[in-house]
Amino acid sequence: MGISRRDFVRTTTAAGALVVSSGLPSRVFAAGQKTVKVGMNIPMTGDYAPWGLPGLYGCQIIADDINAAGGVNIGDDNYAIEIVSYDHAYDLEKAVQGYKKMVSEDDVKMVMMLGGSTVGAIAKWAERKKMLTTTLLCSDITPDTPNLIATCESHPLYNVTGVEWLAKHHPEVKTAAIVTNNDAEYGLQSTATYQAAFEVAGIEVVDVNLHGFDVTDFAPIVSSVLAKKPDVFCMATSFYVTPLMEQLYHQGFKGKIISCTLDYYDEIIAKTSKEFVEGTIFQFPDFDDPKLNESGINFPNPGDFDAKFRKSHPNDWSAVAWEYPAILLNWIEGAKQAGTVEPQAVSATLRSNKNPAFIFGGGKWWGKDLWGQDNVVVGRWPVVVVKDGKARIQEYGSVSGWLDKHAGVLTKYMKSHGLRTV
Amino acid sequence: MNNTSTLTVQNVVIGVILLAALLAVPHFLKLYHQDLLIYLTINVLAVCSYRLVTLTGEWSLIHAVMMGVGAYTASLLFIHFGLDMWFTLPLAGGVAALVAALLCFPLLRMTQFYFLIGSFAAGEAIRLTWIEFVGVFGGTGGLTGVEPPIFWGIDFIDPIPYYYLSLAIVSFSLFILYRIENSRVGLTLHAIHWKAALAESVGVDAWRYRALAFIVGSFFVGVAGALKVHYLGSVSPNQASIGFMVFILIWVIVGGYNKFYGPIIGVVVLTVFDESIRSFEVMRPAIYGIVLILSILFLPLGLESIPGKIKSWFGVGPAPQDPPLTDQ
Repeated sequence: MGISRRDFVRTTTAAGALVVSSGLPSRVFAAGQKTVKVGMNIPMTGDYAPWGLPGLYGCQIIADDINAAGGVNIGDDNYAIEIVSYDHAYDLEKAVQGYKKMVSEDDVKMVMMLGGSTVGAIAKWAERKKMLTTTLLCSDITPDTPNLIATCESHPLYNVTGVEWLAKHHPEVKTAAIVTNNDAEYGLQSTATYQAAFEVAGIEVVDVNLHGFDVTDFAPIVSSVLAKKPDVFCMATSFYVTPLMEQLYHQGFKGKIISCTLDYYDEIIAKTSKEFVEGTIFQFPDFDDPKLNESGINFPNPGDFDAKFRKSHPNDWSAVAWEYPAILLNWIEGAKQAGTVEPQAVSATLRSNKNPAFIFGGGKWWGKDLWGQDNVVVGRWPVVVVKDGKARIQEYGSVSGWLDKHAGVLTKYMKSHGLRTV
Repeated sequence: MNNTSTLTVQNVVIGVILLAALLAVPHFLKLYHQDLLIYLTINVLAVCSYRLVTLTGEWSLIHAVMMGVGAYTASLLFIHFGLDMWFTLPLAGGVAALVAALLCFPLLRMTQFYFLIGSFAAGEAIRLTWIEFVGVFGGTGGLTGVEPPIFWGIDFIDPIPYYYLSLAIVSFSLFILYRIENSRVGLTLHAIHWKAALAESVGVDAWRYRALAFIVGSFFVGVAGALKVHYLGSVSPNQASIGFMVFILIWVIVGGYNKFYGPIIGVVVLTVFDESIRSFEVMRPAIYGIVLILSILFLPLGLESIPGKIKSWFGVGPAPQDPPLTDQ
């Protein structure tokens, strides 16, 4: 009954290829075609917009491609995909309002969200309505949220693959320092994960510098951290990667740099130098990466998607540009498998699949030990390194493999930061 | 005498129509706008309580944080002690008032811009406490799981009952605020604003009255915070950020603050306007900003001055005037 990865790739690739080859207008209405609405309750303005808006652009590309190819067959019906978006600007009140609007008025069948406190705010109402909701932060999952799933990004678990790769390819590295914002949703979760990964890799963490969101001058922070002489400077889901990189450059840091994200790395290179950014390790690939064309990748025509995105939105590519589309594709496959678009049926079908079609392959459901529900898909995750000014995947690490062996270490560090675990 | 009676009847008629409209309006709205109506009702209390603080001429930047104090108090009381909203509401207001009373000692040593900046700093200190003490306040993620009451078989998680509940509490609070403003205390607050030195020369203790306005204003915004969190279910430090404080300021300034109803007009008009331009998505902040600049340029006394302007155009009354300058 599981969704076959081959079917998944075959159908979505066929849809994409048809669009490319036919040159049809972006929307073709077939006789008797129905429309299924998928919600995106995300930040499109404000500080969190880079982790929302590019995802909407990406989903619109995917939806346009599918619709132009004649829609998608689910059960006995043919559906056009319509993306319904709402900008909550990372405000709890707006997030709840937007969510209720999507579910009660727009009749969406799934809601995609960024995660964090906005998901916490909608969780109770969402469960009351039994609405399928997705998050990029798997730490949002609780024992009381069976319909909240994380099928693409399992932030921050995948960061362990970067550290594993670093330790394997740079055995000379012995010490690391972690710098990030002190928020519980992004910074602390990521810090705990990096601490666990460094411990497992035998790298001593000599400093953990958690700063507030009010910092405007990063020079003292970087100076204080570099005084500990770390071999590795680690930015654990920092909102301030660019100013930190600038300071590292100006203060002459020569060690290795590892970060969860390196969004807009072209800008960082422009502000520092190509040589300085060379070798920086992070976790989010560009989609023109040749390694995404290898077998086992569950995303149709990544290069084509990358080109379309950058043509229509040249300055907006970020980590989430492909993540929400990957979730959308995953939901479509779940709906096809369930033979219906109804949230409960799709949710049950997705979660009952022992081998979910994870974007980078090797997926399995996980999370019960840490958050009380096996509602997170973990699998292979790319380790990306900047080479000659371009982000390139070096290899795929196994998040699930790491967790099988070391979940206890991660739990220890989560608890040490006062983070919720079961 | 006849004139007064006519006016009273007119006011009663207007009041009855307004009340009927307020009671009927949620039944014509969908869930999204019913929710919006609840938040709007609560925000009316936030701006009116803020206006009480500004009556003495002091503009603070801590009012949003005080709303957060109320919301956090209600959340903690609900989560850890299982207290119902009927108890958390007054206690939330009380704690906000207590915090304000303690802050009076350092803050009210300052006036004008110094008070403004001092209140911002104090507010940030409180907000950072919520962020830093993750175990108690949940850090940046805040607290979740707060619920509205179930009373006489009515589940207040449904928007229409909660709207009526909010309307009743906010109306009662506004009545008290209105009575305060039109009492001797209110007149003294006005006197301190416009002629502080003169008021002090006749024995008015300006510090005490400023403190009273600050404490009472904080009490009511604390109640508003509790009212909001019991419907929303969550509270986070982000809700009490300077961003929301700026919205309170904008609502009051654009609505006008010389009359009791000015801030109410501001919050209602701007909330409706903000929602009406939602389809513009990323362009929305820019459109909102342009409209604000235009309204401040062309309506410096706020939206409340529009009826006066219209009357003066038709020669019915004098044009609205700028308020007198303070003597501070």
